This record gives sequence, structure tokens and C-alpha cells, in this order.
Amino acid sequence: MAIQVSGITKQFGTFRALDAVDLEVRSGELLALLGPSGSGKTTLLRIMAGLEFADSGSLLLNGEEALSLTPRERQVGFVFQHYALFRHMTVFDNVAFGMRVRPRGQRPTSTEIKRRVMELLELVQLAHFADRFPAQLSGGQRQRVALARALAIEPKVLLLDEPFGALDAKVRKELRRWLRKLHEDIHITSVFVTHDQEEALELADRVVVMSQGRIEQVGSPAEVYDRPASAFVYEFLGQVNRFDCVVADGVARTANGALSIPADGTVRGPAIAYVRPHDLGLSPCAAGPGRVSGIHVVGPDARIEIDLAGLPLEAEMDRERLSALGLRPGDQCAVHIARARVFPQP
Amino acid sequence: MVAATTSDAVLPNTGGTVLSVLRKPSVLPGFGLTLGFTLTYLSLIVLLPLAALALKAAGLGWSGFWDAVLTPRVLAAFKVSFGLSLAAAAVNAVFGFIVAWVLVRYRFPGDRIVDALVDLPFALPTAVAGIALSALYAPNGWIGSLLMEWFGLRVAFTPLGIAIALTFIGLPFVVRTVQPILQDLPPEEEEAAAALGATRWQSFRRVVFPALLPALLTGFALAFARGVGEYGSVIFIAGNIPGLSEIIPLLIVIKLEQYDYAGAAAVGVLMLMASFMLLLALNLLQAWMRSRHAR
Repeated sequence: MAIQVSGITKQFGTFRALDAVDLEVRSGELLALLGPSGSGKTTLLRIMAGLEFADSGSLLLNGEEALSLTPRERQVGFVFQHYALFRHMTVFDNVAFGMRVRPRGQRPTSTEIKRRVMELLELVQLAHFADRFPAQLSGGQRQRVALARALAIEPKVLLLDEPFGALDAKVRKELRRWLRKLHEDIHITSVFVTHDQEEALELADRVVVMSQGRIEQVGSPAEVYDRPASAFVYEFLGQVNRFDCVVADGVARTANGALSIPADGTVRGPAIAYVRPHDLGLSPCAAGPGRVSGIHVVGPDARIEIDLAGLPLEAEMDRERLSALGLRPGDQCAVHIARARVFPQP
Repeated sequence: MVAATTSDAVLPNTGGTVLSVLRKPSVLPGFGLTLGFTLTYLSLIVLLPLAALALKAAGLGWSGFWDAVLTPRVLAAFKVSFGLSLAAAAVNAVFGFIVAWVLVRYRFPGDRIVDALVDLPFALPTAVAGIALSALYAPNGWIGSLLMEWFGLRVAFTPLGIAIALTFIGLPFVVRTVQPILQDLPPEEEEAAAALGATRWQSFRRVVFPALLPALLTGFALAFARGVGEYGSVIFIAGNIPGLSEIIPLLIVIKLEQYDYAGAAAVGVLMLMASFMLLLALNLLQAWMRSRHAR
């Protein structure tokens, strides 16, 4: 089912959480709402679910106006960051809840409910835990119960609010893969909120980058990473080196003249240039402008801190390449820029 | 004296065999000290007087004890005290819950004042409460006269009056036990229920209420215990007709006035046992409910 958001605005006191947001969620896709805290991503998700009320705008679920509908009428599955399982109910009763509260006429029989719940618990690999209480499960297991519970109402849309936010790194990664696979199997239109760019880029079909109640960019993970539409998106997606510079004749020069960066023709005057650490090349050169001020090895990669005439930079390369270069802290080096993006100074 | 010797036996052994059996390894310090203090304190303040009471009653002998308590007047007083305390606690459970709900869930002008009013039955001398209530509910009082006129209902100087007095003094217990739990209830659970298609009523009945039930039960037990022991407010409104509206505490006072100390002690012991059993049962019920979701 497709979701069409147009002109949604929401104000909390003097804080504008959403500012005339337009967004289309395509049927069957897995969409990520990515942004820092306070960017309005969770508010947008909660408005879609009917847990929050928009001040103005419209929301179409499958072409029908939905803002006036209660959460009950929208039939959306919602998964909370902190699971929100019913503590006094067993795993089984949690999953069965959505079916048991249906109006008498639409309520499945208890054998049908039992069959369906066990099927869902099978799907989330928790069939053995049906009689446990939420307090007896680990975080990852609880979140899978929450997912099974949300799927039990056969929702048209699945909305997930930071679904992996409360889990530790390893479980988060497993659950992420598992969710990706689940989505490939059942193809339900899904929207999830995250502040973790890696999560968004790995999991989503399309990523929506938000900032201060506005959408900065919508696109595939490769698109938003390779061709960020704004300085904010560039900075938010991954590590960056940032230079204040002035562009003239297609070249961006830093104030101290230590670096000149090729810029495309559209920008002129004061600007900001961004270079990803892995786009920064180094070579040993006794007369070079840079000095290696530190080297940190993280797994297979090495991060090299450079002091370029007072400007701190970070470069990244694999360890083998670093040992081939033979750079050590204190060495002088030359700096090459393979790729850069230049945005006009706001 | 029994109590004093038990605490003596434990105290010098701090860290020794007695405690090491009771104690699980823990980094929290002060187990021996605090346990010793707790036992000594409880012995002096609670167990010693109760033991003295039992000792006094024991002076009657086994058959003398039962002769003293199994009289129609005493049994009727038990029925009045326990029956009406349970009824009043039940009324408080319902209305105290509603008061707590309103105080937590809604903001309205004067909500702080209402919140403070709830504690008044704690602070007011119970005799004052009793006199005020009997003045109001007496056949010529403000409320009593109306009830008499409209329904032909006599409240003051009947068991109904006792129930009203016990409800008055028991209200804060339910409100103050339910309030903090309701306050801390995460809104997500209700939101989850709504998103799963539950109506407001369904999410209250299936999600909110079960989470509050242990606290409600605690409030009920406290209000009940307070009601059983209440004296001051009841004697003014009860009419104190033996066999009809006479409560156990009053009966004990009457026995004391007749210099029947052993008889008074016997009734006291029986009352103590009955209360203890009921409270224990309520506590076990609660522990069972808690165990269902806290592991």
C-alpha cells in the first residue's frame, strides 16, 4: 500500500517539528527516515500511525484520506524503540492481542488465533518462548515479539520507530539482516526511523534524509551517499573533512592557501568543501605541506590524522597500503584529493 | 521476652554460621548490621507488645480463651468489623482508583488542591472525623435528613454509618498506592494497544488495569487493615448497639472498663490472628501476580 504525505506540519509549542513535509512511500518498499534527533522523523512516523496529530496537511493511505482515522481504523503495524510489550501478558498473549480485540464479528476463532500466533512466532523464530513473559526475554527477542505482534493484525503498512536503537551492536546487525530478509519474503510497505546512517544505507530501498522538520533528500542509498543534495546530507552521511574556502575560476582555495580543490562550475565565492577520508590520498614527501600527527588502527583500516598547516584532516586507507607508504607519526607528507564536493556557503 | 531472646541469639553471630546460611554473596554492605537492627527494632516495637498480649490471653487457659471469644456478642462484633472493613476497602478501591486516575491523567484548575485534600483523612484526628460525619448523617443532619426524606435511609447509628466512616479514613491508601504506579506507566503500551486496534476501553481493561492491579490490591489491603483497627471515628457514628453496630476495638475497650483484662486480651489475640491471616493471603496473592510479569 502506498502512502502519500503532503504538506504535513506539526508544531510543539514554539518548536516546529515538521514543516510542510511532502513524501511518497511506494507500495512494497522499505523506506528509511534518517536524521539527527529533533529532525522530526519520529513525529512524521507517529503521524502516519495516528499516534500524533498533524496541525495541517494531508495523509493518503492507499489513496484514502487518513488523518481523521483512528490508529485502529488505519490498520498499521507499529514497532516501538523500547518494544512496548505488555508486561503482564505472555509472548503468546502479546501476539494474540491484536486479533482478540477485534469486534466480535471479525474476530477469528480461538483455534484460528492459536494457529496464526504460532505461525508468526515460527516466523520470528520464537515458537519455544510462547509461554514466557517479556521480562524473561533478551532485547533482540523482545523486539522480534513486538514485530510478530505488529504483523498479527495483517497490517497494510509496517512502521518501525528506531527498532534497533535499544539493542547492542551485534544483535542489531543480526536483526537488521533478518528484517531485510523478512521484508523480501513478505513485501509489506515498511517505513523505519533511524539516526544511524549505516543502518539506513544497508537496509533501505530508499532513504529520506531529514533535518529540522524538513526533508533534505530522498533517494536510493547509493544516490544519497554519492550525490548528496546538500551540505547537511554530505556531513550527516559518514565521516567528512570540511574546509572553508573561496571558489574562483573553478578552483576552491582554503584561506591559508594550503590546499586547492577542483570545484564544479556552479559555485562561486565563499564556499564549503567536503572530502571523505577515503578520498584523501597521502604520499611521503619531506617537503610536503602536511604532517602526520597520529595513526589509529581500527580493524583492517587505518585512520591517519594530518595537520595541514594548522588544518586538522583525517584520511582513511587499509593497513596494507599504509605500511606500503611507510608513513609514521611526525612524517611530512603530500596530500592529494581524489574527489570533493563544494557547496556554497549558506 | 520470647522475642528478645531470638534477637540476642542472632546478633553476636554477625558473619558467623547463622547469617552465612541466610546470606547470599552480595556487594551490598551492612547486611549483618541492618538485619540485627531490624530484628531488634521489630522486637521492641511490634513483637514485644504482641507477645505480652498473647501472654495475657494465655492466662485464661485453652478452654477459657475459647469461652471468652466464642460468645455471640464477640462473634457479631467480628462480623461487623471485618465485613464492613472489607466493604469499605472495596468501595475505596473503586473510587480511590477513579480519584487517582483523574489526578494523574488530567490537568484541571485546582488539581493540586484536590491532590492535597486526599491526605486530609490521614491528618484529621479520627474523633473529629467521626463527630463531623455523625453530625452530617444524623437524621436531622444535612445529608442524613435528605436521605431520610428521599429514601427512608438511616445512616448514622447503623452499620451503614460505620461503613461510611471506614471509607472516609481509608481513601488515601488506595489513591496513594495507585497514583505513583499510574504515573510511571509507559504511554507506549497504551499506544501499542491502540495501534493494534484496541478501543480505549479495551486498552484500559486489558493493558492499563492489569498493570495497576497489584498496587490496587496493596491499597485495598492497607485500607482494610486501617478499617479493622479504626476506633475513634467509628464510635461516634456507629450507635454501638451490641450485636448490630458494635466493632471489636470498642468491645475490647468495654471489656477493659469492666476490668476483664484477660478477656480483652483474648479478643485482641483473635483479632490479630484473623487480620494477620487476611493480610498474609493478600500479600501472597500480590506476590503471585507480580511473579507473573517480573519473572
